[in-house]
Amino acid sequence: MTSAITTTIVWMVVPLFLGFSGYLVPQLGRVFALSVALLSLGYGLGHIIEPSVLNWQLLDSFGVSLRVDSLSGYFIVTNALVTAAVVMYCWQQGKTAFFYAQVTLLHGSMNAIFICNDFISLYVALEVISIAVFLLIAYPRDDRSIWIGLRYLFISNTAMLFYLIGAVLVYQTSNSFAFAGLEGAPYEGLALIFLGLLTKGGVFVSGLWLPQTHAESETPVSALLSGVVVKAGIFPLVRLALLMEEVGWLLSLFAVGTAIVGVVYAIFEQDTKRLLAASTLSQMGFVLVAPTAAGLYALTHGLAKAALFLGVGNLPSRQFQELRRGVLPWWSWLAIAIPALSISGLPLVGGFAAKTITLDTLTGWQQIVMNVAAVGTAIAFAKLLFLPIQTKAISVQDNLPKKGKVAAMWWALLPLVGGLLLANSVYAYTLKSILKALLTLGIGWLIYGLMDRLGIWDQLRKFQLPRAVEQLEHLIGIMSLMLVLLFGMALA
Amino acid sequence: MVLLEAFIFATVLCGFFGIIFKQNLMMKIIAMDVMSTGVIAYYVLVAARGGFVTPIVVPPVSLEQETTAYADPVPQAVILTAIVIGFSIQALMLVGVMKLARDNPTLETQEIEKGSQL
Repeated sequence: MTSAITTTIVWMVVPLFLGFSGYLVPQLGRVFALSVALLSLGYGLGHIIEPSVLNWQLLDSFGVSLRVDSLSGYFIVTNALVTAAVVMYCWQQGKTAFFYAQVTLLHGSMNAIFICNDFISLYVALEVISIAVFLLIAYPRDDRSIWIGLRYLFISNTAMLFYLIGAVLVYQTSNSFAFAGLEGAPYEGLALIFLGLLTKGGVFVSGLWLPQTHAESETPVSALLSGVVVKAGIFPLVRLALLMEEVGWLLSLFAVGTAIVGVVYAIFEQDTKRLLAASTLSQMGFVLVAPTAAGLYALTHGLAKAALFLGVGNLPSRQFQELRRGVLPWWSWLAIAIPALSISGLPLVGGFAAKTITLDTLTGWQQIVMNVAAVGTAIAFAKLLFLPIQTKAISVQDNLPKKGKVAAMWWALLPLVGGLLLANSVYAYTLKSILKALLTLGIGWLIYGLMDRLGIWDQLRKFQLPRAVEQLEHLIGIMSLMLVLLFGMALA
Repeated sequence: MVLLEAFIFATVLCGFFGIIFKQNLMMKIIAMDVMSTGVIAYYVLVAARGGFVTPIVVPPVSLEQETTAYADPVPQAVILTAIVIGFSIQALMLVGVMKLARDNPTLETQEIEKGSQL
């Protein structure tokens, strides 16, 4: 027991220590970032393979309490693999020590989220994440990136202020900030805390800030944001849902809602990166809807989405219209196809197991709606899968200038794709589930094909979902609507 | 106590609506500061629900001292952390605004948003 605690404390402190040391020895910044990720990988895998629950309190009765179990293990492994992939992707790009220091600190504070067990540690970790993410988004230092970063900071800080009010309401009733104290807390406290976490996690309409932020960042930063950072808001929600039955019911409503909203946005998107970001919005619904299966789903989604962002970042254009006119080299296509198939739920790839287990735990109308969302996901990703490919071998001269970049991409994809293939669970492979997954994919691709044949995609190009809701004022205003909705639901 | 609570929530709401309705980015940041002031005041209020005295025991210790109504130190300690975080985020945002002000001297969010679209 004590050795496990010592390991955990060392593992927690190392990223913070190395993150700041990165400033002192700038040459080693990327090495530090990678080694921190590998350390977390080992730690997280240990907790998945040997699912023991570690529960303890630092110092005395008002100390910080921590909890590590297999759910944390899955999230920690996601964090580790995505960070490692992003660091490898950036290895040759000449990023400064500042960038790697932020990545390392972000990694450390994400880890803190996955083991904390009270509202205030959670708050501190979430705010450190906001700061690190702002600095990463604004890394190119142009007006656009600074504005995207400021917008993110505004939304997350406002959400966290509501969250703080909720946290003190919990304290007032139970004299403790522990998660368990939410049980007897007043409805207002519950609603305010949920508002904060739902906004941070990009769920339902309060997550509409997410597509622009994730799509307009640089490729590696987008991969980090969609791969792990959204899970900072999701993980505590899953924890609370597992802790309290009635909370689970409330959350599953939001989960179903976000799955549908996200998938509709994804189908209508004309831009590859925005499609991926909108699909993150929808996939968070799949993670939340079945808290018992959340770990595996979060892992497969994180790996696939990070790989997709890295792969799409290497395409010649972001617009589907232009991509459909040209041809893609097969290795470029393959880098997108494997993760895209995983998210659509093709057997043999990790996403299939996660999706099957998630959908199996659902009952009644939720199962029907989530299956529809799964078909929608297949339609949305068919847009990426059926891009024209060049099958002939390309001449060496064409290949040469890009060779370094492609190699870097595949090095980065190695941990992600490898993780996706390994994350299969044997339990999911029954005849029924395989048939069902193939049917879902078949229906999705059929609809895509029909729409393609009838020229509906071309019609859709003229039609755009309103972007007005993505303005800063509206996003903050949505928070007040969500608060009213949450109050109503908590009272009911 | 109820009156104080009402004032605190009024402050929070003023800040929140300031973030929505003020056009200027600077004003939005100040509005956010107003909102966080409200939140901090609420923590102090919750801490004071049992009493106002500082929970420090001065020797010689007597039984009488132990029963004085003292303020709850936990919310105060917690909000101290939140104040520090809030102020560092504010500083960061102001640096961002300084950078943006070079090309958008009016600092109106709608203009910046238009300029930053593809």
